[in-house]
Amino acid sequence: MAGNRSTLVLSVVVAALAVLPLTGVPDHHLRLVAEILILGVAVMSLDLLIGYGGLVSLGHAAMFGVGAYAAALFATHVSPDLLLAIPAGIVAATLVGAVMGALVMRSANLFLLILTLLLSQMVWEVIFRWRDVTGGADGFRGIPQLTLPGGMAIDSGVDLYYVAGVLAVGAYLVAASFVNAPIGKALVGTREQPIRMTALGYSIPRIRLSVFMVSSAIAGAAGALYPFVNLYVGPQVAHWTMSATLVIMLVLGGVCTLFGGFIGAAIYLVFQTHVSSYTDRWQLVVGLAFVATVLFVPRGLGRELHQLLRPLGLGEPRVTAETDKKGTVR
Amino acid sequence: MPLSDFTRRRFLAASAATAGLTVGGLPFAAPALGQGKGELRIGLLTSLSGPFASLGESMRAGLQLYLAQAKDGIAGRPVRLTVEDDQAKPEEGVRKVRKLIEQDKVDIVCGVIHSGVALAIRDVVAASNTLTFIAGGSANNLARKAASRYVFRPTKTNWMLGSTAGTWAAEKISRKNVITIAADYAAGREYVDDFVASFKAAGGQIGRQLWTPLGTTDFAPLLTDIAAAKPDFVYTFFAGSDAVRFLQQYQDYRLAGRIPLVGTGAAFDQEDVLPAVGAGIKGAINTFHQSPSVPVAANKLFVDAYRQARGRLPGEFSTSGYVAGQVIAAAAEKVQGDLTDKDKVRDAVLGLDLETPYGPMTFDPKNNQAVLNIYVNEVRVGADGKLVNEVVHTFNGVRDPGATA
Repeated sequence: MAGNRSTLVLSVVVAALAVLPLTGVPDHHLRLVAEILILGVAVMSLDLLIGYGGLVSLGHAAMFGVGAYAAALFATHVSPDLLLAIPAGIVAATLVGAVMGALVMRSANLFLLILTLLLSQMVWEVIFRWRDVTGGADGFRGIPQLTLPGGMAIDSGVDLYYVAGVLAVGAYLVAASFVNAPIGKALVGTREQPIRMTALGYSIPRIRLSVFMVSSAIAGAAGALYPFVNLYVGPQVAHWTMSATLVIMLVLGGVCTLFGGFIGAAIYLVFQTHVSSYTDRWQLVVGLAFVATVLFVPRGLGRELHQLLRPLGLGEPRVTAETDKKGTVR
Repeated sequence: MPLSDFTRRRFLAASAATAGLTVGGLPFAAPALGQGKGELRIGLLTSLSGPFASLGESMRAGLQLYLAQAKDGIAGRPVRLTVEDDQAKPEEGVRKVRKLIEQDKVDIVCGVIHSGVALAIRDVVAASNTLTFIAGGSANNLARKAASRYVFRPTKTNWMLGSTAGTWAAEKISRKNVITIAADYAAGREYVDDFVASFKAAGGQIGRQLWTPLGTTDFAPLLTDIAAAKPDFVYTFFAGSDAVRFLQQYQDYRLAGRIPLVGTGAAFDQEDVLPAVGAGIKGAINTFHQSPSVPVAANKLFVDAYRQARGRLPGEFSTSGYVAGQVIAAAAEKVQGDLTDKDKVRDAVLGLDLETPYGPMTFDPKNNQAVLNIYVNEVRVGADGKLVNEVVHTFNGVRDPGATA
């Protein structure tokens, strides 16, 4: 029942977004929305780790960045075909995610945070130093436009917007089915009751490795599309500050909601792009918004939206973060 | 901001005049506020947050000073200046330049400090044929493979500073035992590589080459290496706060005065670096296209006006903002303010022979790059006890080799 309603709401949102370009929104705004959708997908993949798995990672930008560079390099040197370049990014990010997951799957809490931070900084260092391949600190330019299999170029903001939209819907469906699948339930179980889950015969490291790989694949898909928005990619996309930005977006949007990632990404990017047109102190505004969110809307705007939609039959998400008594998730 | 008052007043006056004409029974004779005339929209893309924030503020102040002096606008058109912050991030620069072109519909884009931003926006402005004046970002590539028909650069290239420093140092200081230390990003690599090339060509020998990431706070390990190696001199490039910290620590480690410093002018910028470092670094040599002591009338006028406006000597970026305004205005005057025919504007820019605060400036038609005098500055203690860059030698009319290099 509630499931049907939320499918309905989701369909309405998607339909509204689908006709947005027809309303005469300028091209560069559509590019911004495309960027929001792409970063939203990355935040959503991080939500699988932080929200559902209780695994607070500060290294998620590594997978996003590897996906971005892999797709950009693939498009430049092999083929700019969308159906090849994006999978190239997904594969590369999944491999990195598998290595990172294997190294951190036995740790939790602070150790996990530090390990993911260090591992992702190693990835950043490789991108930053390997200037012959990645362009080093200057970033990578001269990326061709993505093409559809027929050879049609994806060049305007509208095209990018639709590609990002398809990516977002696809990634949402993958993430939602993961969460609802037995392994998703087991993941929440390992967050809530690790000892009981072990006693029941679940292998916690194996579950964590799986969620790391799924999350990395989704982040890689988002990263893979990212360079084509501006035809440029720089090493900052893999830097730990990017990971921290993703965490901030997640908190703003609301953990354990999946779609909250899009809300958080939208707030952050709109602030960054538009507030900075009016004041040099835009970072202060973002900071205050973040503080206000934590103080007044501690569950994130996405969860509050859920609350508002309750009369429509949309209850709380079935798995809530607050139930975690150890406070590893907030 | 006096400038916004000024445009608002002019706008009100123009509206009143238009209304008057309409009421006067001439409804179709109202002046067309269309493409050719009317407001001249300039978009300034610069870094107002992030590591280059103070440089960006200087650039904005320089351009605003020029526009405030040009009371009647540029070529008879009132100017509307839109300033956008690229946060010294290439992605953000691209986002903002798209906004300037598509939403604000600017006639001209200018500014840019970070070379990475300059290279990243290059494809966007080239694709939309936007008249662009890169006033800061000095990556060599923009005068070479990445040169573009309507992208002009009224400032130096990194090569112009690096190669002149190599020539000068080999001749006047020493030909052996040199250590280079620089920030590890595009600009640092280019300055040092160009320095090394011309230094070697003049018979010099290079010792160790040290690199540190942008934003380094502690130079101790590298400074102890330098102290142990006792080089004849150190060639350096840092910008902004990195330069301040490096020069402070260079004095803390008692290297100042013992091992001569040679560098690019940015590391000894008059406005953004020198006021923050001690007198210990006096005697340092740098090559630059700017100095408060450049002996031309335009510079004296600018330095005085800038001092009055902001109470300090101008450095590279305030000068660059001012010069960008001057070049835009001179080109616009030549086409009577009509920027619709971009090839005409291009011809006008390439035909300029201006006296700017940098000194004489012409443009190289093969890559739209300014040809400039490069000065060898020595950091001295001025009459007021403050450090000042004094010109001790001038390389006249230095021209980037362009795409063949």
